[in-house]
Amino acid sequence: MLASIPSAVLHGVDGIPVSVEVHVSNGLPGFTVVGLPDAAVRESRDRVRAALLSTGLTWPLRRVTVNLAPSGVRKGGAGLDLPIAVGLLVAAGELAPASVDGLSFAGELGLDGSLRPVPGALVVAGALAGTTLVLPEASAAEALGATAGEVRCASHLGELVGQLRGRRPWRHPDPPPPVAPVATEPAPDLAGVRGQALGRRALEVAAAGGHHLLLVGPPGSGKTMMATCLPGILPPLAPQVALEVRRIHSAAGLGPPAGLPDRPPLRAPHPGASAVSLLGGGAPGMRPGEISLAHGGVLFLDEMGEFPATVLDALRQPLEEGRIRVSRARATVDLPARFLLAGAMNPCPCGEGGTPGACRCSESARSRYHRRLSGPLLDRFDIAVRVERPEAAALVGPAGGEPSAPVAGRVAAARRFAAGRNVECNARLAAAELDSVAPLTTGACRILSAEVQRGALTGRGVVRVRRVARTIADLEGEEGPVRSHHMDEALLLRCRRDLLLGAAR
Amino acid sequence: MTAGGEPAVGSGRPVHDDVACAAALVGLPGMTPVRLARLLHGRRPAAAWAALLSGADPTASDPRWTVMAAATDPVEAAARYRTAGVEVIVEGDDRYPDRLRGDPGAPAVLLCRGDIAVAGVGPSVAVVGTRSATPYGEQVAAELGRDLAAAGVSVVSGLALGIDAAAHAGALAAGPGARPPVGVAATGLDVPYPRANARLWDGVARAGAVLSEAPLGSPPRRGAFPARNRIIAALSDVVVVVECHLGGGALHTAEAAARRGIPVVAVPGSVRSPASRGTNGLLVDGCAPVRDVHDVLVAVSLARAGRDAPAPALRARTFVAATGRDVAGALRAAGGSGDERCPVDDAAARAVWSALGPDPLTSAALAERTGLTIGDLARACRRLLGAGAVIEGPGWWRRRW
Repeated sequence: MLASIPSAVLHGVDGIPVSVEVHVSNGLPGFTVVGLPDAAVRESRDRVRAALLSTGLTWPLRRVTVNLAPSGVRKGGAGLDLPIAVGLLVAAGELAPASVDGLSFAGELGLDGSLRPVPGALVVAGALAGTTLVLPEASAAEALGATAGEVRCASHLGELVGQLRGRRPWRHPDPPPPVAPVATEPAPDLAGVRGQALGRRALEVAAAGGHHLLLVGPPGSGKTMMATCLPGILPPLAPQVALEVRRIHSAAGLGPPAGLPDRPPLRAPHPGASAVSLLGGGAPGMRPGEISLAHGGVLFLDEMGEFPATVLDALRQPLEEGRIRVSRARATVDLPARFLLAGAMNPCPCGEGGTPGACRCSESARSRYHRRLSGPLLDRFDIAVRVERPEAAALVGPAGGEPSAPVAGRVAAARRFAAGRNVECNARLAAAELDSVAPLTTGACRILSAEVQRGALTGRGVVRVRRVARTIADLEGEEGPVRSHHMDEALLLRCRRDLLLGAAR
Repeated sequence: MTAGGEPAVGSGRPVHDDVACAAALVGLPGMTPVRLARLLHGRRPAAAWAALLSGADPTASDPRWTVMAAATDPVEAAARYRTAGVEVIVEGDDRYPDRLRGDPGAPAVLLCRGDIAVAGVGPSVAVVGTRSATPYGEQVAAELGRDLAAAGVSVVSGLALGIDAAAHAGALAAGPGARPPVGVAATGLDVPYPRANARLWDGVARAGAVLSEAPLGSPPRRGAFPARNRIIAALSDVVVVVECHLGGGALHTAEAAARRGIPVVAVPGSVRSPASRGTNGLLVDGCAPVRDVHDVLVAVSLARAGRDAPAPALRARTFVAATGRDVAGALRAAGGSGDERCPVDDAAARAVWSALGPDPLTSAALAERTGLTIGDLARACRRLLGAGAVIEGPGWWRRRW
């Protein structure tokens, strides 16, 4: 007899619907899975058998063939255990075919028949819209809101069989509370940053304009502390982006990001991260990488000089386009990756290059370190500042500086100006638009052209400085043309290609 | 060029002149200054070359040399040096620098781009120091280089980054009437190292001379740099160490000078600056301190006066008159005075001006010290920059003076 059960597998941040066909016939007893299963799917035979026997159901001593259609797509993960088990029960006559009409399943089975959560429940639910989805209890809440259809749940195969036979009531997941429980650790607050007027200002301007930011300074100067404060001053995620973020995190098997559902995520991969873990990919599900997990939020690369140069240069295309296209021989996925890049690095390998004459690195070690950041990558940073260790007075003084909340208020106000220009933030203003949305006063124009004549700014540099100047004007509440003091400040904050070399002095 | 011996027809084998043979000998694989000196001890290059070809030379340190020598044409080797504009000078030639004659470590063969005659005549001072110099050190080195050259003293240095480069650049900037500088390289004369100094090499070679012991095409080798330092020391009347880390290479030069009885003087630095630990250590060890070109000129006149007699102990500036040239004084009169008033009349600019000193200060430190908002700070710095009062570096500012 034949049964066909709808399910889905992960592919990037999308789900691919999969029809699990189970055929039971007379013949030599056996169990075959066809349709490009990976190892985890092939092993489901043993899990399904043990789960059926533990639940008191019979394992058919007949010939069983499982086909996963479409058969040209490679399928991975243990989420197909449950549809295989249900299909087997229907095909073997244990369940009436009518009892699974309009239902789809996803879930992993334990040997005792328990239903275990699956990664990407949210994405799977999106791919199975139009059916009633049955999920393990632990995954069901994640899927709510992603599908117009009903979501049901069970915690054990025995319970599910009872429900399908109509002997037990269906259960539905509890909707998550409107405000997620308070994050276990409070988000870092700018109040904890002592001194660092320049660093703070750079953070505020970067958040207000969505400008990529590079902090250069010796160890102990608070670069990491400052960068982790960034999500706290960014505006909350728009509903559309928040949903995308949840999808990406679900597809990566991480569950929703910590904290409130609309707080921008912060990802801080270690310099040892491989290119695939950063960019995404990997068989067979094409898991989203760190840059996609940072979508809508902040990608913080601490010790940027320690990342391999090839990995860093791979960031250039997603930085420009806001998405990453991961191509493999078998498949290609398009993953969203629009993030604010915050980089931090020491001025040189020994870390003391900020103090004149203190650096003991050899010339070659220093230039090797600086070459990790290619010129084109350095050009992507709108803002780069050198930070210093706070002076003693600031460290032992009574309190830190301004907390995050008022800063976040100013950032949100500045972003409202950007929204009036039909962009999310000023960093995305097109170069051609600048003359109309960010005109310069004669004073500002004179400063800028003097810099260009001095050879200190290139054409691309001019565009970046003008965007930052627009953001600084927005922060001041100035909607009109960019004035000379805005330009002064933008020039102070700009990223110079020789910043790293000069830092070694 | 000096022709050593007459080309003659001997018993089957052509006999080459000394210059050609020296050019061929320098280029043999595995040749070092020490091995070359042993090979040429007590005989001319042509004789050494003939002995090497015969295969029975007990002073040959490398068995491959006989084979390599048979495959090398000295005339061709000499032609290579001629086309590269490099002069080959053998110890004992007329053009060999007087100062190096009789030196215990005298190079047996010296290669020169430029005019060898400028090396070893007249007063000559080595200005050396660390490659990772502070702006303070580079500035002092550049000023010393300029003022020494203007005062008629030849500046000798190693063409490396940092102090060496600054001293040479200063000497070249002193103008056409000044004494030409002398550079001593550790690599082949067609391999400028570091590459960033290639233009400086050309400048020094055009104005004065660049010397080396290494054959054309020789890459930077570890042992070549300390060996080069002995030539710098031997060519100078006085060695000035401007900035040097503890255990830095410039201390090798100082040591080589001390072994030859050549006075070593040092520029004092901040006791907190790691780049001045070596020089401050020299001062503690009894070297005379150098504040400006004046102090160096005093040391030079003393050294020259005592060239044949034992050098008198350096005392104070009572010897200023001995030089007859008050270069530093003239410069001081021509240049600005010490404390300028802030050129921009604005409270924020004045705060920035008083926080800035001769050493660069990062924007972050400047914000910390002045307490200004970043916007006010940026504006004040830009105005000072516009008035030509400050210099902007990558991420830092300092007063222009």
